[in-house]
Amino acid sequence: MKQLRCPLNGVRPVSEFAYAGEVRDMPDPDACTDPQWADYVFNRSGVPGVKREWWCHIASGYWFIAERDTARDAVIDTYPVEKLREVHRA
Amino acid sequence: MMYRLPQREGEWIDRTRSLAFTFEGVRYEGFAGDTITSALSAAGVMILGRSFKYHRPRGILSFANHDVNAIFQVGPVPNVRGDVTPLADGMEVLAVNTVGGLQSDRAQWIDRLGRFLPVGFYYKAFNSKRFFPRWERLIRNLSGLGQISVDAPRLQTPKRYAFCDVLVIGGGVAGEAAARAAAATGAKVMLVDESTRVSAHSADGVDVLTSSYVAGVYADRWAAVIEPHRMTKVRAGAIVFATGAIEQPIAFHNNDLPGIVMAGAAQRLLQRHSIAVGRKVLVVTTHRAGYEAAVALLDAGLSIAHIVELNSTSVAPDLSSLLIQRGVKVVVGDAPIEAERNAEGCVAAVHFAGERIDCDAVLMSGGWAAAAQLLLQAGGKTAFDDAAQMHLPSELPAGCFVSGAINGLFNAEAACMEGRTAGRAAAEFASATVPPSGSSIIARSSSPVAPSPHRRQDPRGKDFIDFDEDLQVKDIENAIHEGFDSIELLKRYTTVGMGPSQGKHSNLNAARILAGKRGLSMDQVGLTTARPMYHPVPMKHLAGRGFTPERATPIAPRHSDAGAVWMLAGNWRRPEYYMREGESREQCIAGEVAVVRNSVGLIDVGTLGKIEVHGPDAGAFLDRAYAGRYSDLKVGMTRYGLLLDEAGTIVDDGVVARLHEESFYFTTTTGGSAGVYRDLLRLNALWGLNCSLVNVTGHRAAFNLAGPRSRDLLSAMTSVNLNDGAFPYLGVREGIVGAANARLLRVGFVGELGYEIHVPHSHAQRVWDGLVEQGRKFDLRLFGVEAQRVLRLEKGHFIIGQDTDGLTNPFEAQAGWAVRMQKPFFIGQRSLRLLERRGPRQLLVGFEIENAVPALKECHLAIDNGEIAGRVTSVTYSNTLGKTIGLAMIKPSLAVLGTKLTFRVTDGSTVTATVCPTPFFDHDNQRQKFGVAA
Amino acid sequence: MFRRHERLRDSYDVVIIGGGGHGLAAAYYLARDHGVRNIAVIEKGYIGGGNTGRNTTIIRSNYLTPEGVQFYDESVRLWQDLSADFDLNLFYSTRGHFTLAHTDASMRTMRWRAEVNKHYGVKSEVVDAAYVKNALPMIDIECGGHAPVLGALYHAPGAIARHDAVAWGYGRGADQRGVEIHQETEVTGIDVEAGRIKGVRTTRGYISTSKVLCAVAGFTPRLLEMVGLRSPIYIHPLQAMVSEPIKPWLDPIIVSGSLHVYVSQTARGELVMGSTLDPYEVHQTRSTLDFTETLSAHMLDLFPFLSEVKIVRQWAGLADMTPDFAPIMGTTPIEGFYLDAGWGTWGFKATPVCGKTMSHTVATGRNHPLIAGFGLDRFARFELTGEKGAASVGH
Repeated sequence: MKQLRCPLNGVRPVSEFAYAGEVRDMPDPDACTDPQWADYVFNRSGVPGVKREWWCHIASGYWFIAERDTARDAVIDTYPVEKLREVHRA
Repeated sequence: MMYRLPQREGEWIDRTRSLAFTFEGVRYEGFAGDTITSALSAAGVMILGRSFKYHRPRGILSFANHDVNAIFQVGPVPNVRGDVTPLADGMEVLAVNTVGGLQSDRAQWIDRLGRFLPVGFYYKAFNSKRFFPRWERLIRNLSGLGQISVDAPRLQTPKRYAFCDVLVIGGGVAGEAAARAAAATGAKVMLVDESTRVSAHSADGVDVLTSSYVAGVYADRWAAVIEPHRMTKVRAGAIVFATGAIEQPIAFHNNDLPGIVMAGAAQRLLQRHSIAVGRKVLVVTTHRAGYEAAVALLDAGLSIAHIVELNSTSVAPDLSSLLIQRGVKVVVGDAPIEAERNAEGCVAAVHFAGERIDCDAVLMSGGWAAAAQLLLQAGGKTAFDDAAQMHLPSELPAGCFVSGAINGLFNAEAACMEGRTAGRAAAEFASATVPPSGSSIIARSSSPVAPSPHRRQDPRGKDFIDFDEDLQVKDIENAIHEGFDSIELLKRYTTVGMGPSQGKHSNLNAARILAGKRGLSMDQVGLTTARPMYHPVPMKHLAGRGFTPERATPIAPRHSDAGAVWMLAGNWRRPEYYMREGESREQCIAGEVAVVRNSVGLIDVGTLGKIEVHGPDAGAFLDRAYAGRYSDLKVGMTRYGLLLDEAGTIVDDGVVARLHEESFYFTTTTGGSAGVYRDLLRLNALWGLNCSLVNVTGHRAAFNLAGPRSRDLLSAMTSVNLNDGAFPYLGVREGIVGAANARLLRVGFVGELGYEIHVPHSHAQRVWDGLVEQGRKFDLRLFGVEAQRVLRLEKGHFIIGQDTDGLTNPFEAQAGWAVRMQKPFFIGQRSLRLLERRGPRQLLVGFEIENAVPALKECHLAIDNGEIAGRVTSVTYSNTLGKTIGLAMIKPSLAVLGTKLTFRVTDGSTVTATVCPTPFFDHDNQRQKFGVAA
Repeated sequence: MFRRHERLRDSYDVVIIGGGGHGLAAAYYLARDHGVRNIAVIEKGYIGGGNTGRNTTIIRSNYLTPEGVQFYDESVRLWQDLSADFDLNLFYSTRGHFTLAHTDASMRTMRWRAEVNKHYGVKSEVVDAAYVKNALPMIDIECGGHAPVLGALYHAPGAIARHDAVAWGYGRGADQRGVEIHQETEVTGIDVEAGRIKGVRTTRGYISTSKVLCAVAGFTPRLLEMVGLRSPIYIHPLQAMVSEPIKPWLDPIIVSGSLHVYVSQTARGELVMGSTLDPYEVHQTRSTLDFTETLSAHMLDLFPFLSEVKIVRQWAGLADMTPDFAPIMGTTPIEGFYLDAGWGTWGFKATPVCGKTMSHTVATGRNHPLIAGFGLDRFARFELTGEKGAASVGH
């Protein structure tokens, strides 16, 4: 079974984790158009490549970010969400 | 005919222990250490099974766990591989795939039809709609191998996890050397081998698993080791693939006759079980291995009639001259054309271009295919090596190493050296703190092999390429001719390699034929994808004990005692209702409803999700996550909570209680609790607000005490002042109930004065018992999920997932009141703006029918002008109201009070209902707000 | 059965990307029914090598939405005559299809499906546990005690067929009508000018064309990126496994949503089994052990006597997933670019009706009425098609 390195709990089998898709930047809900909003809600980047993704270590309820090559299912890096947060606060 | 030799040194059988067994009803004896096949062979039984398609008599081919034609039915167990299954005393063994027994198989006629059954025949015949079903029945009944017994028990097979630094797959010379060398560095080593015996042992510091095989190698060096009575899942720091190579057959007419075996099979029979393959042995070979087998047999005193090498110049001149000196006739550059059968159907002679050679056994050695399947699964690559005439490893994934025959080394000394190197490298890789990336090194000095030619002078007869699937050379050629000319299409059309041995003795030769026909190199042709399982794995091993997680509230034993009839709710079991002596299900439920309306009832709602959020931003967090507003909620009060997704679809609901300025406690639906908690944690991580969440679902039990007498009952047990003024409707209070610290929520889901009582799990039973005890005075009854459904329906409350579906938004569910669109932001808000402008596609409405309509059920359709106009989402007969009530999700044009709806029930008849306001009962909610005088 | 063409021509009237069942069916009907014969089918591997050859061959029309039911019902109708059309036996075998319900919530969903099905003349009915037990006496109706079967949706027309042969039949039929099938040819780019298709770049040369049909489930996002379109499609692997051949014992197709099992027995005697999607995005057809463990455990819950039956092989395919579990088909904002995608669990059963409807759409430039509910534009309008409603089970 595939392994994933949780920044909090170390290397664990992937069955201990939940996946919540790619990290996506939300457009400003008040400024964006309906089509821009629908694009955010529904559309995905389905092309293989290195993506920033949401992963959760289920037992500890810890969410973190994994950079993973979806073509090879190879995890390149994992890190805490704090790294992203500044971007989203702005 | 095969026979047992006198005792030989090193044999694997114990002649002091006889084992009696039957085969096709005839009694035989073997020894401890025999396999089913070796015991039968020792007894001279040559025909062990019937082939898959033509029902031809078949015997041993490889004696190496891919003798698919010598599989047996042993009691209820189908498809038992006789070549590797240990003989046991009292075994009752039957051949598979016969109609009326092995000797007189009534399906043998199919063999004679052979030439009318070309490849792809099934696709080309009987394709009329009218006749196909009859033809299909015939095929179905002839297909398949072993028989299952539907009475066989569910077998519980344990599973185990193991961790090692180095996993060595294969305990031959190379594997053993690798394991010892790795263990010598101090590494934790595990060695897995299919045989019952290997030379390596635990004294070498190696954990040895014999009679076991690796079925698959998965991501990050995760290997499934199948032991006889257990599956071990191994996480290895590094893997040495010493999986060897698989000897290949040679194609000539009737190459499937019993008595024609692989050279390796003859050696294994001899060395392990002291069985001679025959009294007059013919060897046909393209490889040194054929000569080596001849020498071994000769040393054991067997008579070698002839050796015929197919290559024009010998690959083993040294062995050839040695054998000639010992009186064996060696022919180089000739090829077998056809084998001749004796009266029993076994091999009697082989025709070559020049001569006919009498024999009672033939050894085939048509070169080797690397057993690279596991390596390929692990992400390795192979390339065809012309000198070795094999696909050899060309790329190794990180942490994977190879040694021995898989790498083209057939010389024991060289394999041993390579094994040691691989073992040390693997140990080093596993011990490195930062494992080196990139591929491991492949070094090799291979032994050359000549390709196995496929000479055919005579179109009659059958020269088999695939013994599992009964495929001949011409089948492969015809398929290529028809355009199935890539290796994958060829496989799919002919089924080559699709049988139980997964092409171990057929894929390479099929690829050779394809390469030859298309004029491509072997690498251009390629091989089909190697996938697990390496050998078939019983489902009992994969399933293990089959854990099914189930959750129970602390009150579960009380429910059982009270006669609960259980239903599933996610992982939980909940009482659907409580069975009463002499009452029907409907009567029980009606009684439970009545007691809540008239006196007091108690339901266990501990399955609800229970979450706390603490911190200065707790209110702001809930404002962003839920559709309602909570930052302005007064301490000590509760408010309904509706959770949406980004598309504005209803996901979950519950009650949010403000315990303190910076502390909220809220519930979720039973099914939603784990998912909602996880989603909220993610939002909290994303937003970075100053608050944190705790899931206390398992920590807290919860009961709903509801009914006009609930206050009277509870007041005797609690320190909390229950007066309306002190504890109003929708309030929340903390205090003591019984001896427990409790949270009391005054909610009205069932539409009566009522209290949700949340207490720590450890105190739950005592509080429950206390309530039941106190309740005696008030004729308290326990009520289940069904009664609760009726009660809430009388109040017009929807249940998410029943009255809503995967696309319902709050406006459609008439829950716009629970949404605060004016808030700066919440999940789903932007989508709701859009949906509000667009208007609903459907609307949830209440309906009523004056009489009882038992035929009307949830999900019956509303029909308007012959078209589907919606569906019933909830319906019940309300004893309280004396009429049928329900909710329906219907198109907006019909969602007008007083509109007549037409529902169509299962038998096609229709029922008319009237759209009416909700709640159906106690429209102004007086009872839940203020109670009623008892 | 097929011809190999040494070279690509400079231009074709229609280029179909993807030589699976769907692409070949569209080519076949374009040539047979619409008189369009100057067609190239471009396939990067071999025909039928994607999800056509990886699915578990189940054919049914017991969907939930009116759009889905009518669409798949037409497909089932077409399936019945395909063997005769092709003069090739597809082993289309009507076996009956049970979708088991283990909770009252799924019993409700079964009734919903049954009622919608019957409305459109599709034979489906809700049956109780006794009926299931009578039809399948060997089943453990209690499922080992932890998920008793309460009833089922019984769909009599449920069938299986030899999946590879479907691609071959359409391929041969198209080939006979002049369609060129180019295997081992990969599309590397699609040229769009002023919102119109101009041509297709391939590893074997450039093709100019004004119409492209994209039928590459599992790879759709890569093609959409070439033309600059966005879609909700994301890719998860879907796995399956097969047992050794055993003598026939299982006639109907059995599905259990709660246990995540579907199983049928082939004419060769193998049990073909599938389960749910893999839980995260991967563009690779690797296998996992936990898939076989979970599926085997659930199989033995239903059929405990299979404990000793052996699994021979497992495999995987790439599934185009959509938010509402309905496909994405038809015209797109790019003129001449048509989409046949979003097949979720592979879309095998829709092969004939996709060929029919997409050939119509490509030939006329207008969406066939049967695919009106499946347009790419439905997401921007927040008008999803709700096959997911059937999967929505709370409480």
